[in-house]
Amino acid sequence: MSIPSKVPPGFRELTGASGFAAANGPWFEKIDGGRAIRGFLPGPQHANALGIVHGGMLAAFLDSAMGTAVFHTLNRRAVTLRLSLDYLGPGRLGDWLQAEGEVVGHDEHVAQVRGRLYGPRHEVLTGLGAFALLSRQRTVMPRG
Amino acid sequence: MQPAQLLDDRPPDGFLRIDFDRDRPETTFNSHIGTLYAKRGPKGTRDEFVLGFRVHQHMCNPAGGLHGGMMMTVADLVGTMGGGTLVGLRKFLPTVSMTFDFVAPAKVGDWVEGRAEVVRQTRSLLFTNIYLTVGEEKFLRASQIAKIPSGEGLAFGKAKLDRNAAAAR
Repeated sequence: MSIPSKVPPGFRELTGASGFAAANGPWFEKIDGGRAIRGFLPGPQHANALGIVHGGMLAAFLDSAMGTAVFHTLNRRAVTLRLSLDYLGPGRLGDWLQAEGEVVGHDEHVAQVRGRLYGPRHEVLTGLGAFALLSRQRTVMPRG
Repeated sequence: MQPAQLLDDRPPDGFLRIDFDRDRPETTFNSHIGTLYAKRGPKGTRDEFVLGFRVHQHMCNPAGGLHGGMMMTVADLVGTMGGGTLVGLRKFLPTVSMTFDFVAPAKVGDWVEGRAEVVRQTRSLLFTNIYLTVGEEKFLRASQIAKIPSGEGLAFGKAKLDRNAAAAR
């Protein structure tokens, strides 16, 4: 797939996405000194009735960036236990949006992560999350 | 709507597809993520507004569970659309803040329902609690603060329940 020209240098498309992430991508990532930054270019399929990026899409994207931060910081896979989000400004279609997370604390089971999602001009979404750390062998099992 | 979609989703009695994109040239996020349904029940009952959908692969994470982003999107919608409906607002309510607790997973084939409970309405804000359930089991707990815009605002995304499709069944 051709990479849209608005993607800044250093960002690679996340390949191998499936399900929800694939249906709502492409998503991009840049690793910058051990820090993971994710980005995507919102299109009409990400819009709500107001013509700005849907809050659910922003939530999904920030969540993914925060989960990735856990992986890059602690080298552990994690699942989201709790996420608290504040919507600060609109995400505009056609603007390159970036999200990143920072692990602010953790024990053996849970990591605390701060996240931010921002556009070229302003902050869009800020979040605080608790992520359950999976043991290194375990895969996530669906219920039932 | 594609009849195949309806067969695939097998919505329980009373659920009608929500048509988010009437008169819109392009599909927006609420339609893009999958077909969402709603059911209206008697005023003041638990089922006064219920949102529902069938979990498909394109809503899932690589492990085959319902993606957290999908859960959050639907919970957001249950708060603004469902909570707004409960208090008689037909305006678009922008979300100010949300908190989600991911209590359990859900999987492909599950029929998910979402219900909102209004905690308090002020002149400019609506506070709601939201639960997503499969059967009797809660799998997502959320709380939301939505803004009530002054004036008329935008009618809720022109979203309408698709009664024609129901009549055709």
